[in-house]
Amino acid sequence: MLVLATILLPILVGFALFALPRDDRTVSRIAGTSVAIATIVMVVAGRDLEWSFRWLSRPFEAAFHFGATPISFWLALLLALCTACAIASTRIPRMRNFIALMLLLEGTMLGLFLARDLLVFALFWDLMLIPVFFGLIGWSAHPATAWRYLVYNFAGGLLLLLATAAFGVIDGSTDVIGRAGVHVVGAWAPWIFAGFAVAFLVKTPVWPLHTWMPLTYTDLPAPMVAVVGAVQSKAGLYGLIVVALAFLPEYVQQYSGVFIVLGAISLVYGAAAALVQHDAKRVVAYSSLSHLGLIAIAIVSGNQLALQGALVYMIAHGLFSAALFMIVGYVEDRESTRSLVRLGGLGWANPRLAGAFCIACLAALGLPGLAGFAGELVMLLGIYQAGYVWPSIVGLVAIVLAAAYFLRLYQGIMNGPELDDLPVRRDLTWLEGLAVAPLLAALLVVGVQPHAIMAAFAGVVR
Amino acid sequence: MTIPFTSADWNALVPIAIVAVAALLVLVVDLFVRGYAPRYVSIGIGLIGGIAAGVVVAGQFGHNYNAFFGGFMTGGFTSVFEEIVLLALLGSLILYGAIGTPDRVAGTTALMLWSTCGAMLMAGAANLMTIFLGLELLSLSLYCLCGMVDRKTAREAALKYLILSSTATGFMLYGMALLFGATGSVMLADFVNPALASSALFWMGGGMFLIGLAFKLSLVPFHTWAPDVYEGAPLPVTAFMSVATKAATLAVFARFLYAALPSGAAEKLLLPMWIVAGISMIVGNAGMLAQHDLKRLLAYSGIAQAGYILTAMAGGSALGLRYAMFYLTAYTFMNLGAFAVAAVISNDGEQGSRLTSYEGLAHRRPLLATAMTIFLLALAGLPPTAGFLGKILILSSSVSAGYDWMAALLIAGTAISLYAYGKTIFAMYARPRHEPHDPKPCAPLAWASVVICAVAVIAMTFYPLTPSNILPLVK
Repeated sequence: MLVLATILLPILVGFALFALPRDDRTVSRIAGTSVAIATIVMVVAGRDLEWSFRWLSRPFEAAFHFGATPISFWLALLLALCTACAIASTRIPRMRNFIALMLLLEGTMLGLFLARDLLVFALFWDLMLIPVFFGLIGWSAHPATAWRYLVYNFAGGLLLLLATAAFGVIDGSTDVIGRAGVHVVGAWAPWIFAGFAVAFLVKTPVWPLHTWMPLTYTDLPAPMVAVVGAVQSKAGLYGLIVVALAFLPEYVQQYSGVFIVLGAISLVYGAAAALVQHDAKRVVAYSSLSHLGLIAIAIVSGNQLALQGALVYMIAHGLFSAALFMIVGYVEDRESTRSLVRLGGLGWANPRLAGAFCIACLAALGLPGLAGFAGELVMLLGIYQAGYVWPSIVGLVAIVLAAAYFLRLYQGIMNGPELDDLPVRRDLTWLEGLAVAPLLAALLVVGVQPHAIMAAFAGVVR
Repeated sequence: MTIPFTSADWNALVPIAIVAVAALLVLVVDLFVRGYAPRYVSIGIGLIGGIAAGVVVAGQFGHNYNAFFGGFMTGGFTSVFEEIVLLALLGSLILYGAIGTPDRVAGTTALMLWSTCGAMLMAGAANLMTIFLGLELLSLSLYCLCGMVDRKTAREAALKYLILSSTATGFMLYGMALLFGATGSVMLADFVNPALASSALFWMGGGMFLIGLAFKLSLVPFHTWAPDVYEGAPLPVTAFMSVATKAATLAVFARFLYAALPSGAAEKLLLPMWIVAGISMIVGNAGMLAQHDLKRLLAYSGIAQAGYILTAMAGGSALGLRYAMFYLTAYTFMNLGAFAVAAVISNDGEQGSRLTSYEGLAHRRPLLATAMTIFLLALAGLPPTAGFLGKILILSSSVSAGYDWMAALLIAGTAISLYAYGKTIFAMYARPRHEPHDPKPCAPLAWASVVICAVAVIAMTFYPLTPSNILPLVK
C-alpha cells in the first residue's frame, strides 16, 4: 500500500492544488515541497514493499504491480530529491499551476520507475509527457517546442505500446519487470526489440533522434527542466536495462554495434555543440546528450562493471544536471539573460552562487572525489574490459571536451568583466542555497561512496 | 405448425417496443401541453423511455430470446449494442434539452426515438429483412433530423445524406438480393454452407452488401458525406448519428463476419474491408489536421475510429469481437462527452462547434477544459483513458490474429491524429487571442453528462469489463 501511496500522493495533491486560489504562491510551494520530501521518505521506507492489483487476464496477464527494484529504487530516490529541491526554490508566474504540474510530473514518473508491469510502465511512459507538455505550453515562449516534444516522445511511446502488446501476446504476461527467467524468442522478437529500442533511444535521447531535446530543455522553466533533464532522461536508459537487456539480451548483443556507434556520435556531437553554444541552458542540454551517449554505450556493452558504472553515472548525472539547471535558472532570474556573451563577472558579487555553480560544474566535468568521476571511471573501465577499445577512447576524448565546455560555461557566467547594463542583484538567498545544497552534498557522498549504488547490480542482470 | 408469436418473441421485442411507444406518447402528450414547457415534457418522456428500455435490456443480458423464427435475436451481443445505442439516445436527448430550439421539440424527440428503434433492430437482426428494416427506420429518421433546423447548411446536409445514403442502400439491397439468389434464404445462419464459397453470386452479393456497410460506417473511400453531414446537422443529432449509426452498422457487420460466412470465404471476402479500414485510419486522421470545426473534426475522427474497431475484428476471433465492443463503448463515452462539452459552450446556437470557441477555454472554464482534455486524450488513445486500453487490446488481438499490418497502420494513424487533437488541446490552454463571448453559465443536464462521460472514460481504463457471454450470434 505504501508503494501505491508514494505514487498517488503527489498526483492527488497535484490535482488538489487547483482548488487553491488562482494567485496563490506560498501555500502551494510549501505543500509541494513537503509532498516531495514525504515521497523521499516513502521511497526509502517502501524499498522492499510491493503492491499488486490484477488489471487484465486476457489477452495477456497484466497487473497494477508496483515496487522498487534495486535499480529503480535509486532512480526514484533521485527523482524525489530533485523534485523537492526544484520546487523549494521555484519563483515563477502562475505558481500554483506550476507546482501542481511538478507534482503530477513527479507522481507519473514515480509510477514509471516503480512499475513492475510492462503495460503499466508504458502507461506512465505516456502519462509523464503530459505535465511537461503543459509546462511548455504555459511557460515557454515557443509553442512549437511543445509540439516537437510531444510528437517525438509520443511516437516513441506508441512504438513502446506496440512492442508491449506484442510482448504480452507472446509471453502471456506483462507483469515481468525485475523478474528473472523471462526471455522473448521467436520471429517477433527482433521487432519487439526494435520497438523498445527506438522508444528508449528517443527518450534518452541519442543522435539522430535528439532534435527535440535542446529546444525542450531550453524552453522549459528551470525547476521543471531540472527534473526532466535530470530524471526523465533516465527513463529510456532504465528501460534499456530492465527491459531490453533483461528480456532480449541476445538482440542487445547482436545490435550493440549500432548502439555504440550512435552513442559515440552523440558523445562527440553533444560535446562539440556544447563547446560553441552561447545559451547557458543549451550548453547543459548538449552536455547531457554527450553524457547520456556514454551511458548508453556502457549499458549495451553488457559488462557488469560498465553497468554498475552506468547506474552510478545516471545518478550522478541526475544530481549535477539538476543542480546546473537550477543554478542557471537562478542566474536567469537575476540577470534576465542566459547568454554567455552578455553574462560575466557574477562571481565577484555573488560568491555563494559562484561556489555552488563551481561544485556542480566540477562534478559534471568529472573531478575525482565527486560523483561524476566515480561513474565515468567505472564505466570506461567496464567498456574497455568488455573489449570495446575504440568507444572507451572516444569516451576519454569526450571527457576532456567536457572539461573544456564546463569551464567555459563557468567562466562565461562567473568570471570576466560584468556588463554595466545588467542589473546587480543579491547573492543566493538562503532558500535557494538550501534547495541546491542537498544535490551538491549528494554528489559528494556518491563520489566517495558509490558502492551502495553499484551493489544494485549484484545478480539483477547477467 | 407453430404459432409465430411465442412468449420469447415478446421478450425480445420489449425494449424496442418501449422506445417506440415512448415516441408515440411524446407526440400525443405534446397535443395537450402546448404553451407549458413542452420542451421538457417531450424530452423527459424520451429520457424515461430510454432509461426504461435500458433497464429491460440490461435484464435481458445473457438470455437468448429470438423473435420471427430467428430473424431478431437478443443475447449478450445484442444487449451490449442496444445499450450503446440507448446511451447515444440519452446523451443526445440531454444535449437537445440543453441547446435545442424550443419549436418542433416533440417531432424531433419522436424521430430520435424511432431512429433508436431502427438501430436497436439492427443490433439484433439475424436475417436480411430485419437488417434492412432497421437500417431504413434508422436512416429515414436521420434524414429528417438532419434538416430539423432553419439553416441552409442543415438542409444541404439532409439532402446530401439522403442522396448518398440512398445510393449506398441501393448497393446493399442489391447485394442482399444476390445473396438471397445464391442461398435461397434470407437467414444469416444459412450462409455458413461451405458450398457457397464457390458461388459467384454469393461473392458478388457479399461484396455489394459490404460496400453498403462501408458507406454507413463512412470508411474511405465512402467517407466523403460524413464531414459535410456532421457539420450541417444540429449538434445533438450529430452526436446521436456519430454513435448510433456506427454501433448499429458494426453490429450487422460483426454478425455477418462471425456467423454468416462459409468457412474459407471469410478471409478472402473481407480482405478489401480490412484494407479499406486500414486506409480509413490514415485518411481519417490526416483529414482532421485541416479542420476548424469540432463536428467536422469528430467526423474525420469517427472515420478513423471505425477503422480501429474493424481492426479489432480482423481475423474473426471471439476475443477480438469483445475488444471491439469494449472500444465501441469507450468511443461512445468519449464522443458523447466531447459533444456535451460543445453543448455546454454553446448558447442556444452552434458556437460550441467552432474550434475558435475553445481558445483559452482553460482560463475561462478550467473544469470544462479538463473534461474536454480527457475526451480528446481518449480519442487520441493516450493514457489514462479507456482509449489507451482499448488500443492496447485492439493491437494485441490484431497482432495475434496475424493482421500485423493493420496494427502498424493503427499506430501510424494514431501518431497523425495526435497532432490534430493536440492542436485543440493546445488552443484551450494557450492564451486567448481574443476575448470571446462569455458562455452560458449553467446547463446542469449537459454538465451531468460531461461528468458521467469523463468518469466512465477514466474508470473503464482501470476496470476493463468486456462482455463474455455474447455468443451465439445466429440461430
